[in-house]
Amino acid sequence: MWNEFRNRIAGLLCLGVGLGLGCPALAGGDDRLQLHGFLTQTLVHTDANNFGGESEDGVGVDMRELGVNISFRPDSDWLLSAQGLARWAGEMDDGDPRVDYAFVERSLYADEAHRLSVSLGNVKNPYGLYNTTRDVAHTRPGVILPQAIYLDRMRNFFLAAPGMSLRGEHEGMRHGLNWQLSTVRMEADDPELDYLFMPIPGSTVNAPGHFDGSGSWLAQTMLDLDGGQWRLGLSFGDVGMRYKPALPQPFDYPSGKVTLKPVTLTLQRNLEKVTFTAEFSRAKVDNESLAINFVSQGWYAQATWRFRPRWEAWLRNEAIYFDKDNKNGSRYDSLLLERGLGHSKSWVLGVRHDLTAQLALSAELHSVNGLAMLSPADNPDPVNDRFSSNWNMLLLQAAYRF
Amino acid sequence: MAISHLIATVLFALFLSFPAGAVEVIANKSVPLAKISLGSARAVFGMRQVKWPDGSLIRVFVLPDSNPVHGALCKERLNLYPYQLRQSWDRLIFSGMAQAPIEVASEAEMLASVAATPGAIGYLARPPQNEKVKVLNVE
Repeated sequence: MWNEFRNRIAGLLCLGVGLGLGCPALAGGDDRLQLHGFLTQTLVHTDANNFGGESEDGVGVDMRELGVNISFRPDSDWLLSAQGLARWAGEMDDGDPRVDYAFVERSLYADEAHRLSVSLGNVKNPYGLYNTTRDVAHTRPGVILPQAIYLDRMRNFFLAAPGMSLRGEHEGMRHGLNWQLSTVRMEADDPELDYLFMPIPGSTVNAPGHFDGSGSWLAQTMLDLDGGQWRLGLSFGDVGMRYKPALPQPFDYPSGKVTLKPVTLTLQRNLEKVTFTAEFSRAKVDNESLAINFVSQGWYAQATWRFRPRWEAWLRNEAIYFDKDNKNGSRYDSLLLERGLGHSKSWVLGVRHDLTAQLALSAELHSVNGLAMLSPADNPDPVNDRFSSNWNMLLLQAAYRF
Repeated sequence: MAISHLIATVLFALFLSFPAGAVEVIANKSVPLAKISLGSARAVFGMRQVKWPDGSLIRVFVLPDSNPVHGALCKERLNLYPYQLRQSWDRLIFSGMAQAPIEVASEAEMLASVAATPGAIGYLARPPQNEKVKVLNVE
């Protein structure tokens, strides 16, 4: 097991480094063919509960991201892009290499002020400010994304998925407006989704069936004022999957759709030294198999201060409630196993130093109340009171990109 | 009297801190434009606009983020901050929606690259003395 794990890392590292070394040669030959990539290692320590692996009272080393992408622009109307990704996140993700995106984009119309294009393939879904590049540390506003909006346990709802995407842009003197509409079939093969949506009351396991992705759509529009000094965004959609029971009733839940209808508002103010960002999200969740529906709600507000060249620090407050009308979790006690699983409120303080343009080192401290961001896979024994609802976490991260 | 002194001092300070023309947008002689709108310049350097009006491919050359001439381009010509451009590039490059600009190490390399590459756009601190390169006014 360990050998297989080690070999896999070694193989991916060789691939990444090899491609990285090859990159300047390619770029020097023809900039229309480009290679880029990233490698991130995160260390985690928690004083209670496990996050991203075995982090409680020790140092978890199981959070890692490795990606390589290639793009080719044969002429000004076509773009071919693909990215491979391996992600390790404790018991949630085991580093299996996968295609992160792979699509062909064709420009339908373009002039100085307007652009319209269509993409076919495994397309990235814009959601909020950061979803399209959620696994790339250099693009995140901290070591990990604000979980109140970008909950890693629900990442599959918003990942790239096979489908089609239409993208438009308008540039004015004082503003820029862009929008994207994607129709996709989400990848529902994810144990975290089983844990979240098909729990068995009073136990720590989920129902035996599995999910298949259903036809879904996601849309986003983003308005930039004064070159992005103000940014206003609206993301919304209707994403779903269907539960396929493995056993006949009453030994399993009945077949049914689980749908998520999220709406997220984004507001950002970019100044020379300081950036203020706030995002607010509500999602209507309808679970036919369990015959329940509720509204999830999350938000965060963050201030980032670029206090010296190559240095920045940030402070963030965030909160998520799986059921906004039932914040203390009592309504679904039996389903959510215990109080505290239904929400999470955090203060986050972080600092980042860019050693070079390619290499960044970051540290982030979380003070958390609630358990919503924890994976049951990493915390397999909640019934025996191993969960502690007030906990702290320190994350250290080295991120390289080329 | 005191107020007019104060105004003169403030204007002088502003003039000193924002010297006009500290950066010029340049393009290869093949580029079919004499000027470019602010919105279009942002889209070109933001890697979102990829073709000139005649359909030819735009090749964007940039200096490192920390280079003062790059800072001047962002603030004085594009009316944004270098970190915004970098974040915008990263989001596009790592979601496959656009390609990266070509980074050159110095202004000398910038001039040589823009002169040698059809469809190229870049920038320099001073107007270039090179017949294969022209200045594009951002309006």
